[in-house]
Amino acid sequence: MKVFPAQIWRNKESLYSLIAGKCNKCENLFFPYREVCNKCGSTSISKVKLSGRGTLISYTMSYQNRPGFEKTTPEYIGLIRLDEGIEIVAPLTDVTGEIKDNSRVEAVIRRLKADSSNGLIEYGIKFRLVEDENR
Amino acid sequence: MTEVLIYDASMIKVDRYYDKNLVDLVAESVSKLNSIKPDAIILANAYSETTVNQVLLASKISNMLGFSGFTSRIENGDASGGAAIQTAYYMIKSGLVKSILLIGVEKMGDFPTSYLNEITAENLDEKFGYREGLTLQPFAALQMKQYMKTYGVNYDYFTQWPLVMHKYGSENPYAYLKFQVDKKTVEQSQIISDPLRLFDTSPRADGATAVLLTSDEFKPEVKVKIEGVSSSISEFSTLSMPAVKQAYSTFREYKADFMEIHDSYSINAALILEEMGLEKGKSLNMLDSIQVNYSGGLKSRGYPGGATGVYQLAEAFMQLAGTFPGKRAQGEKGLVISTDDLGTSAYVIGLRRC
Ligand SMILES: [Zn+2]
Repeated sequence: MKVFPAQIWRNKESLYSLIAGKCNKCENLFFPYREVCNKCGSTSISKVKLSGRGTLISYTMSYQNRPGFEKTTPEYIGLIRLDEGIEIVAPLTDVTGEIKDNSRVEAVIRRLKADSSNGLIEYGIKFRLVEDENR
Repeated sequence: MTEVLIYDASMIKVDRYYDKNLVDLVAESVSKLNSIKPDAIILANAYSETTVNQVLLASKISNMLGFSGFTSRIENGDASGGAAIQTAYYMIKSGLVKSILLIGVEKMGDFPTSYLNEITAENLDEKFGYREGLTLQPFAALQMKQYMKTYGVNYDYFTQWPLVMHKYGSENPYAYLKFQVDKKTVEQSQIISDPLRLFDTSPRADGATAVLLTSDEFKPEVKVKIEGVSSSISEFSTLSMPAVKQAYSTFREYKADFMEIHDSYSINAALILEEMGLEKGKSLNMLDSIQVNYSGGLKSRGYPGGATGVYQLAEAFMQLAGTFPGKRAQGEKGLVISTDDLGTSAYVIGLRRC
């Protein structure tokens, strides 16, 4: 068994819906959500759902994998600046063709790994390129 | 005020030891140490739960050594060595403890790359990066890309680091990859995460090292003292290492003659050197003018996980004591910079021969 339900369940907000924390005292915005502000130490934190949209600052094609992730190797990994200002490193998906500088990206849910062909599946967020944002 | 001295240091060659476990490796390293019975044993090790399925490691090792006093394991990823040094330094400085056997050990040579990545990925945030299946190498690759874009350098620039490290490492009998390389070998090596290639990364292997720290009540043959230790942490950043900058700030006037830095990737070496004041975007062009990583660094000496910082301390001590068997550094002041894989946790240790 590689997928343990409790580990996935308690992280569902960061893995499925990009929930960030916003400090009510100093306005610091951080992802993933935590109950303490790492700038000012305040424990008055609100949950903010990030739009999942952002700009791809840079990317790399990684040939490295970990057990359970063989199917998605090699994989593009992006350095993304989310529209709310947070920078994250996350996998890209559905890349066909060339990636242009400063491409727009959006978060989508994808399968990350599975216990076996008919076992538990772990899902998470990946980012895909957006061609026409107003579509 | 109590001074903290290095009484002696030993190490085994960084290598793959398929026939030995962590405890065996420590036994081999400690057997070469000119030792006295210590008041405490501090162990630096990052990954034993995953690599040898063992916890309670400090107790097991202490028991093997016939020691029953205070013992503890310090874990802070690949910066465990630095964290253990700082802990031991504080303990002796406080006056409560007079001597500490500091041990660094790690076992990473038993595994294929994929599983090693699983182990080192434990460095990532469990809430997102780790679960998303990321490894550490793409982070370094992204740093490289941003660096190339910002400073207008190409891949050639980074080849300087492995070339120099392998030259130094070829003289160090304790080095894992004890061979020289040419530029072609580096630039044609396997792509790990573009533009990061195999020779921009450091080889993960097994290692064990021991350093005996004492107060100045002891009279070692050569007097090498730890002048100070400073540390800091920060978040991952692509073009800087705020933790290194902050930890180094107290040593800015120290003017070290030589140093051992944590070059998990060539880009890390550049970023660390630049946080220490070398010109941004040019640090790797200046390797001829600084005494850095005469051990061969992680690149050539090898990268024994959480034991690395203790290796660096042992190497710096041997340099000052005049017993280092490889390329010799000039001067009386050394600096050790121990960090985790991505430089978010940093320890700076200043040493001086008196
Ligand atoms: Zn705050």
